[in-house]
Amino acid sequence: MIRKIISGLVLSLVACALLTAGGAGDTTDDGTTRIGISKIVAHPALDAVEKGVQDELAARGITAVYDLQNANGDVNTATQIATKFKRDKVDVIVAIATPMAVSAANSVRDIPVVFSVVTDPVSAGLVPNLSKGEGNVTGLSDKTDIYAHLELFKRIAGIKTLGHIFTSSEANSAAALAELEDACKKLSIELVVQSINNSSEVKQATEAIIRRVDGIYLTTDNTVYSALPALVEVALSQKKPVFSSDPTSAIEGGCVIASGFDYYKAGRATGAMVAEILEGRNPDSMPTKFLTDPSEQNLLLDLDAAKICGITLPEDLVKSANQIIENGKLTTR
Amino acid sequence: MIQGIVIEGLVFGIMALGVFITFRVLDFADLTVDGSFPLGSAVMAMLLTAGVNPFFAMVAAFAAGGVAGAVTAVIHSKLKIPGLLAGILTMTMLHSVNLRIMGNRANVSLLRVDTLFRSISDYASSFMPGEYGILLFLALFTLIVLVATNLFFHTDFGITVGALGSNQQMITSQGMNPEVIKLLGVSLSNGLVGVSGALAAMYQGFADVNAGTGTVVAGLASVMIGEFLLRSNKIELLTLRVILGSILYRAIMFSGRQYGYLINLTANDLKLITGVLIIGCLVISKYGNGRLFSRKGKKA
Repeated sequence: MIRKIISGLVLSLVACALLTAGGAGDTTDDGTTRIGISKIVAHPALDAVEKGVQDELAARGITAVYDLQNANGDVNTATQIATKFKRDKVDVIVAIATPMAVSAANSVRDIPVVFSVVTDPVSAGLVPNLSKGEGNVTGLSDKTDIYAHLELFKRIAGIKTLGHIFTSSEANSAAALAELEDACKKLSIELVVQSINNSSEVKQATEAIIRRVDGIYLTTDNTVYSALPALVEVALSQKKPVFSSDPTSAIEGGCVIASGFDYYKAGRATGAMVAEILEGRNPDSMPTKFLTDPSEQNLLLDLDAAKICGITLPEDLVKSANQIIENGKLTTR
Repeated sequence: MIQGIVIEGLVFGIMALGVFITFRVLDFADLTVDGSFPLGSAVMAMLLTAGVNPFFAMVAAFAAGGVAGAVTAVIHSKLKIPGLLAGILTMTMLHSVNLRIMGNRANVSLLRVDTLFRSISDYASSFMPGEYGILLFLALFTLIVLVATNLFFHTDFGITVGALGSNQQMITSQGMNPEVIKLLGVSLSNGLVGVSGALAAMYQGFADVNAGTGTVVAGLASVMIGEFLLRSNKIELLTLRVILGSILYRAIMFSGRQYGYLINLTANDLKLITGVLIIGCLVISKYGNGRLFSRKGKKA
C-alpha cells in the first residue's frame, strides 16, 4: 500500500515537472542573449574551446547567459541536449565535436547552429561545401595542414619511413588518416600505421613499429594524446623524433616538434562567428572557417628531445616558435 | 520536451526489451548489447546511405543483431566460456566489425540522407508539429514489437524459453536442448537491440561507433525502473513495464539536465544525478512495500 502511494507520488511529481517544462518553461523573451554550448566530453581541448567562445563574446561586449551542456561521452544524449536548447529557445547553439554538431543540425532547424572543431564538416553532411553554410548551420573546422607538417618533418629529420598511431573510433583521426596517406604519397614517404582502441594500447603500438620507422607523426587524436608520455618514452629510447599536431599536450616535453591548433584560439574564432550571427548575419552565407593564420597556430620545439634524436633544428624555425623547451625548462614567448 | 522524452524512451525501450529477455527471462547476463546496439546503427546508416528502404534496413539491423547474439551463445555453449565473458568478447569484436561496416569511419552522418524519421516529420508537419508524427510512428512501431514479443512468449517455444531461465534442468529432462533455446533467445534479444540501434541512428541523424558505451547499463536501469512501476507476472505487463521504465529513465535524465542547475549542479554531474535518482527509485521499490518502515519499528 505504502509502496503504491510512494510510486504514485513519484510519478505525479515527475509528470508535474515535465508538464511545466513542456508548457511555461519559455523564459527567453526578456531580451537577454542565450547561448547553448554542447560538447561531447569534458576534455582540456574542448573546455578551452568552450572558454574561448565565452571570452570572445565578452571581449566584444556581448553579455550572454550560457547553458553549458556536456554529453559525458555518451553520444546517445547528443539529441537530448539539442532538444533542450530548442525548447529553451536559445539564440545560438555552439556544438563542439562531430556527433554534437550532427545531432544539433539534425534536430534543430530554426536556431543558428555553429559547429566547432569538426575536422571534416562536408563528409559529416553539415555543409554542402566549405565556401558556404547551409540553412542555419555553419562553423569552424580544426583541420590541420598535414602536408605542410610532413614537408617540415622530412626536411629537418630526413624521414623516409613514417610511423603513425591513431584511434580507430575517433572520427577526426579516421578523416585525417586519408589525408596523411595522400600527403605521404606526394612526398614519397612510406607510411606505417598502427590503430588503437584505447589509451592503454598506445605503448604497445609504438613498440611494435618504432624500429621500422624514422619518426612518428601524430594527428589530432584525443586518445593517443592521453597516453603521450608512454609513446614519447618508447620513441626517444630508440632516438626517433615525434612530431605532434597538438602543442597543448606537448608542453610536458618529448615531442621534437609540436605544431598546430590552439583550441582556445579556435574557441575565440568560433565566438567571433557567433557574434556575427547575433548581429544578424545569416549562417547560410558564412563559409566554414579554418585557422590558417600563423598567429592562430602554436609551434612548440623541444630542443632536448631534438638533441637525443641527433637533430639540429634550423635557426629560422627556432625563431618562429612560440614555445621552446630547453634543458628541461619551458619558455613561452 | 515531453515528446522528446517519450521518443527517446521508445527508441531505447526496444533495446531495454532485448536486455529484459536475456537478463530476466533467460537469466543470462549478456553484454553483447554494447556492441549490437551500434551494430544496428551502423547497418542502418550504411544501408540508408546506399539508398535501401528503411524498413528493409530495419530487418537487416534485426538480423545483424541476431547474428551477434548467436555468436555470443555459440561461444558460451560450444566453447564452454562463461556467459559474461562470451558477451564481452563479442562486444569487443563487434567494435572492429562496426568500424568495418561503416567504412572505417567512426561517425557516419545521415544529414544528407533521407531517414524515415525526416520524411515522417516533413509529412506530419503539414498538420501538426513534426515531432508528434515521429512519436506516433514510434508508438505504433513499439506496440507492434510488444504484441509480437507477447505472442512469441505465448507459443510453446516462447514458454520453453521462459522455463529455461527458471529451471534449466527441467528443460534438459524434457528432452530439449537448452543450448538451442538459449541461442535463439539471445539472438532475439540482440535482434531487438539492433533494431533499437537502427532507430537511434535515424533519430539522432548519425551512427557512431562509440554509441554502445553504457547501453546495457541504461537497459538494465530501465528494466528495473519498470519493475518499480508495476508488479505483475503476466508477460503483457512484464514487457509493457520495460517500455514504461525506459521512458521514466529518460525522463529522469532529462529532469537532471533541465533542473540540475537549481541545486548548482553542472552538466558534468549529470551521471551522478541520474544514478542517485535511479537508486532512489530502486530503494523505494525494494523497501516501499511497508518493509522499510516495519523494520525500523522492529529495531526500536
